[in-house]
Order: sequence, then C-alpha cells, then structure tokens
Amino acid sequence: MYRLITSLLCCFSFNSFATVLSGTDADARLPFWEWRGEKVSIRLVQRLPDQSRAYFMARNFSNAQAELMAQSCVFQTIFKNTASPGQTRVISYDLSDWVVKSAGRKRGLITREAWKKTWKTKNVAQASLIALEWSLLPTKHRYEPGDFNWGMTMYGLPPGTHFDLQLVWYENDLQKKAVIPGVECAPDIHPDPESE
Amino acid sequence: MKSMKRSVYKFVLILMVVGSFAVCISVTQADQRQSLHEVKDKPLASDFVLKDIDGKEYRLSQYRGTVVLVNFWATWCPPCRYEMPSMERAYEKLKKSGIIILAINIGEDEDAIFKFTADYPVSFPLLMDQDSSVIKQWPVTGLPTTYVVDPKGHIVYRAIGSREWDDEALLQKLEALR
Repeated sequence: MYRLITSLLCCFSFNSFATVLSGTDADARLPFWEWRGEKVSIRLVQRLPDQSRAYFMARNFSNAQAELMAQSCVFQTIFKNTASPGQTRVISYDLSDWVVKSAGRKRGLITREAWKKTWKTKNVAQASLIALEWSLLPTKHRYEPGDFNWGMTMYGLPPGTHFDLQLVWYENDLQKKAVIPGVECAPDIHPDPESE
Repeated sequence: MKSMKRSVYKFVLILMVVGSFAVCISVTQADQRQSLHEVKDKPLASDFVLKDIDGKEYRLSQYRGTVVLVNFWATWCPPCRYEMPSMERAYEKLKKSGIIILAINIGEDEDAIFKFTADYPVSFPLLMDQDSSVIKQWPVTGLPTTYVVDPKGHIVYRAIGSREWDDEALLQKLEALR
C-alpha cells in the first residue's frame, strides 16, 4: 500500500502539475494551445496567413517572399519562466530541439537562421531582414524567473495542417520534454466579397 | 481493504485538485510579480551614439554618474507596446532623481516611430538603431529587453519581456543605485 501511495505521489508530482490548454485567445480572437507547467508556460496562438502576408509585405518583402512565409504555418509564441522571482530556476531552450510531428513525419521548426539562409541570395533589403529576425522567437534563450518573450514560430506546414509539437527545454540544465497534441495551422481563408 | 483503497484514491484525488489550484495560483502570481535579474560580473555597458526621430544625438557615456534604463523595442512587438505606458509613468517619477530612460527602436524609421507616439506618447528619448548595429553589441536575443546601467557605466540588472515599470519595488531598486 505504501508503495502504491508513493508511486501515485511520484506520478502526481511529475505529471499533474502540467496542463495543456486550448481555446480562443482573448486578444487575437484566434485559437491557441498552451502547455503550462509549474515553472514554464509555452503558448502558441494562430496567425492567419493573411495577417502574416500583410505583416511581411509591410516590411518590404516582395509578394512572393511574403507568401512563402505566410504559408509556413505561423504562430505567435509566448515562452515564460513562471517561477517566482526568489527562485533560482533558470529556464533555457533551443528551438532546434523541438520536433513537429505531422502525418507520420518528423520535421524541425524554421528558425531565424534558416530564414537568413533562405533570403541570403534573394536580394532582400537589410531593414526587412532585421524586422524578420527580431519578429521571430529567438532560437536559443535563457530566462530567469519572471522573464518571457513573444515571437513568431514557423513550422513549414501547409495551412490547415494538424501536428503534434514536442517541446524540449531545460530547468537548471535538467532536460524536460512535453507534447502539445493536435495543434492546427491556421487555414488560409479568403472571404468571398460576393457572399457577404 | 476496499475501504482503505477508496481512502487512498480519495486522498490522491484531493491532492491533485489542491495541486492544480496551487499551480494556477502560482502561475497567476508569477505573472503579476515584477522582477529584475542581477547581471553576473556587472560588465561595462557598450557605448553607443544614436539619434532620436528629431535628429538629436544621444551618447550613452554622456550619462556617466546617473542611472540609465536602456530598453530595446520595436513598434510591432506587443509586449514592447504594453510596457511603454508604465515606463512613461516610471520616468515621470524617476526623472526628479536624475534617472534616465533611453528606448532604442530596432530597424524602423522616423515615420513608424512618429506614428507610434500618437498612440503611446512618451517623454523619454526614442532612439533609432536602424541597421541594428547597437543591439548586436549588447547581449540581446529578443524584444523587449531592458538593461539597467549604474552610474559607473556597468550593467547591473536585466529584464527580458515587459514589466510594470512603475511598480514600487522596481522603482526602489533603481533609486537605490544612485
């Protein structure tokens, strides 16, 4: 009996502090998925392809370049170290460790560095590249308690695709993993003016 | 035996419910807490010369002897926008103590910043780092990031993400550096 209680308590302490939440983001009015643990929260909020298209075109990317990024399954992402300021719980991550699983295939995220390589030979203005770099969630970061960042993450999947996202991060250099299941890339909706 | 099992399950269930509440409360409280992280070894802040939207030049080293908040931001960055009003309120309180705020915009032009000030009026200088050469000299990887530079020119605190800058605890920390 004692063993049973101990093992249940162990399961409880390791797993039940974590929750996957989903619903509609109050600010964006778009679907979100969030993994929330004792010290970390990671929230993905859909961005419509049209929003991303407009955003990158406003930063002087050509139509084709903006289209490529808009069709890459973009999420606004908020990564927070939710530990109390007094606690010395440093959270770090590297987006290159995260795994996107869709239709039986695994892939990585498209990071700042990957986009930099893509646009290197394409004659993109420096101001546009600077805007893109700082708009994306940093590829690697360390957060002290109370720190957080917002930034776009891109998954390289067509609009409307469903995927599971395996998250990896480190709490005081101890590796942690979690999965957000059933995330959906925003569909590419073009409202028909005649139907309105 | 059966009743003991039932008791154990009840105990675990209660524990899980209480635990979930504790997590919710701790996450909510953490969101509300304002923190500044002490920077290890307190490195000397990299000097810069940047212009504001009116063409006036600002050099960080000209503020030796005073406390300076160096904030890196952009108009399109939601948490950057979020913290601007509280930064302005903090500036109103701190400027009597001679504490300075320099907010460095990354990659945008005068027009974008000028439009921004219509919605977010601030009285501290908004500087332009259009080619991102200054931000690259500082250990910044995401926006917003704010550093506190002490009167000797050393970086003493760092905040990644927005803060309520007029929070009393934060203001006291800044004033204690004078």
